[in-house]
Amino acid sequence: MRCTFGSATLSPVSESCAIIGSGLAALTAKAALADAEIDAVVFGDQPDPAAAWRVRAAAIRQTHMRSESDGHCRPRTFPGLAVRDTLRKRDPWPLLLSVTDRYRPSVDAFLADVDAVRKDSAWDASFRQARIAEIRPIAGGFLLGQSPHVPGTCRVRARYEGPFKHVLVATGHPGLNLPPELADDPRVVHSYEPHEYGEHVAVVGAGMAAATEWRNASAAGAEVTSVRRREPLRRPLNLPRHLFTKRGLAAYHRLDPWTRVSFLRELSAPSYPPGREWEVRVHVTQCVPDEVDQVICATGFVQGAQHEPLLASLPRQDGWIELSPGATVPSLTDDTRTLAVSGVHAQWAFPAADTLAGMRYVAHRFARRCRTR
Amino acid sequence: MSYTLRGRLESRVVAALLPVAVAAGLAAALSAWWPVELAALMLGVGVALDLSAYHPLLRYQPGWLALPLGAIELALVMGLAVALDVRAPLGAALIFFSSSWLWAQLLGHAAFPLLRAEYGEDGGELPGAGDAAAAAAVIVLALTGGVAWATRPPVVHLHGVVQGPLLLNREQTLVGGVVHGGIVVTADGVTIRGTTVIGGDYGIEVRESRRVTLERVTILRAREDGIHARRSAVTVRDCTVVARPGTQGIDISFALHEHSEVSACNVVGGRSGIEIHFTMAAVHDNVVTGSGIALTEMSMGSLEDNTANAIACSDHSICELDGNTAPSFSTTFGSEAKIEGNTFGRTTVSADSVIVR
Repeated sequence: MRCTFGSATLSPVSESCAIIGSGLAALTAKAALADAEIDAVVFGDQPDPAAAWRVRAAAIRQTHMRSESDGHCRPRTFPGLAVRDTLRKRDPWPLLLSVTDRYRPSVDAFLADVDAVRKDSAWDASFRQARIAEIRPIAGGFLLGQSPHVPGTCRVRARYEGPFKHVLVATGHPGLNLPPELADDPRVVHSYEPHEYGEHVAVVGAGMAAATEWRNASAAGAEVTSVRRREPLRRPLNLPRHLFTKRGLAAYHRLDPWTRVSFLRELSAPSYPPGREWEVRVHVTQCVPDEVDQVICATGFVQGAQHEPLLASLPRQDGWIELSPGATVPSLTDDTRTLAVSGVHAQWAFPAADTLAGMRYVAHRFARRCRTR
Repeated sequence: MSYTLRGRLESRVVAALLPVAVAAGLAAALSAWWPVELAALMLGVGVALDLSAYHPLLRYQPGWLALPLGAIELALVMGLAVALDVRAPLGAALIFFSSSWLWAQLLGHAAFPLLRAEYGEDGGELPGAGDAAAAAAVIVLALTGGVAWATRPPVVHLHGVVQGPLLLNREQTLVGGVVHGGIVVTADGVTIRGTTVIGGDYGIEVRESRRVTLERVTILRAREDGIHARRSAVTVRDCTVVARPGTQGIDISFALHEHSEVSACNVVGGRSGIEIHFTMAAVHDNVVTGSGIALTEMSMGSLEDNTANAIACSDHSICELDGNTAPSFSTTFGSEAKIEGNTFGRTTVSADSVIVR
């Protein structure tokens, strides 16, 4: 059965900036816009910007962030979480750890800060619970189409919000990734879904979530088998540090599309931080043993913009949307309007776009366009 | 932080603005140019390191690295200050450098990221502010440096024989030459280097002046003392003095609140080769032939590695002696001498004096 659009209505709303999505990338953008004294409407499923992240962190029993002091949703890196921690505890230790790049904020501290940013940026006042299904370019802006089903029919009545001059798409990861060969296996659970641990656990994957699950399952008394195709990299952050600033980005932006694709593929190799706390004794195999009673897929998210309906039609290079260095979509951005992308889908502009630093990078550039155009 | 080259330079120049302004104010208040010269050295060394070392070698710079890099910059700045004869008092120079460094750290880690949201991701660049600050710093340094250069003490080179007595009544450096009839110094900051003085009542007379340096001077046939300093702070080094009988080769007196130094001098003749009277002084590595060295009249000081016919610590003086050689040593009239590692022939200690070994 194929549903069709019925009549369309146009909302009277006409703010200049809109954010589609209601996760951490959206909150970071909202905070940057609020910092620049720009009003923006946020369209999303969840009023709590940490809702999805909170569930995933709890599922893997994450206690500390991989990010450092500046891994927060605020528009300015200072004061970071280490400074706030130091002031709150009246203890210089977090600050000293931060100076040596060894500070890792706790998940609780991070989530408390998310709540504070939510309040400071007037997130709730700007939030509209709505699922945007279509971005329709018009002269000088965009209309955002919702598609609520008409009850009792297969018809959809399109309702448009806008027009908006500047739109940021921050919809996050398209979904959890499960290897197809394990899709029907009743023992399988994704690491980001709530779960307990069996007696003999196979953990598929070799990234940060997998390393966390090795620790969790071992601590729960399970015999752990690591199922992986290649040895994981050990590095403190997702990427080399210079790629978080203009210094590394300038060279990255000069890469031709093919080189950039292979560079991004290399960077997406699974990794987790060095350190003894991550050393867990596990059996290593390349396929799931029959005798395990639980298979935890620490295989991250579905990769590629083709899986995100709002972005699927945009020009791509091997799954990555082609963006300008400022994370805007060149074909739909000009002097009068902006369509920008944040979060994981902005890797063409910022390789670590799925990190908080990457979200802030895009937010700053989006805010600048909103302010100057 | 991963700085771009532009970010490093802009952050450094903007952070240097306040120290440069303070240096200009200090220079005006102290009537001395060393603050401006020091600020210019700090900025120059920093920019040179940014260009030649930090940018090519440090793709990422963790926060803790600021400490060792600061120590390297401090060593280079102080070394250059000595090499270029920047006359900054050591303590004041260290305080100025440390304060400026701390200010730069506060700006780089807190103020800049707070004031400019994109500071970190832009690699430390400060668009607009960077250009303006660079222009301001260059203008301030150029103006103050230009004035400093234009008004710096002159260096006077003497050639051949000059008839004295010469009166040096303003800050200057006198180099070389032969002066007949003596030199009189009445200004602070005078340096006499490599000059031979023949005759005169005193060879070189220093009156109520500070920061006077006499370096590689030769004094011959003065009617009274070879070097005669009163109520002054004098540094005498590598000198040669031939004194008449009944005079002092070097006499530094009546400056208990000033500190003088006599080192590596060769003094021949006189009633007393080196006389320190009611003064604080360090006397070391001198050779006195035909007479002795004396700290007298409540003087305080050290005598190290000197050779003389006699060494005396007398009249309520407090002396530290180490590594000296003399046929006789005396401590008299309520004096106190701490001696260690000396080679003395006869030692005389009056009943009211003390020797601590």
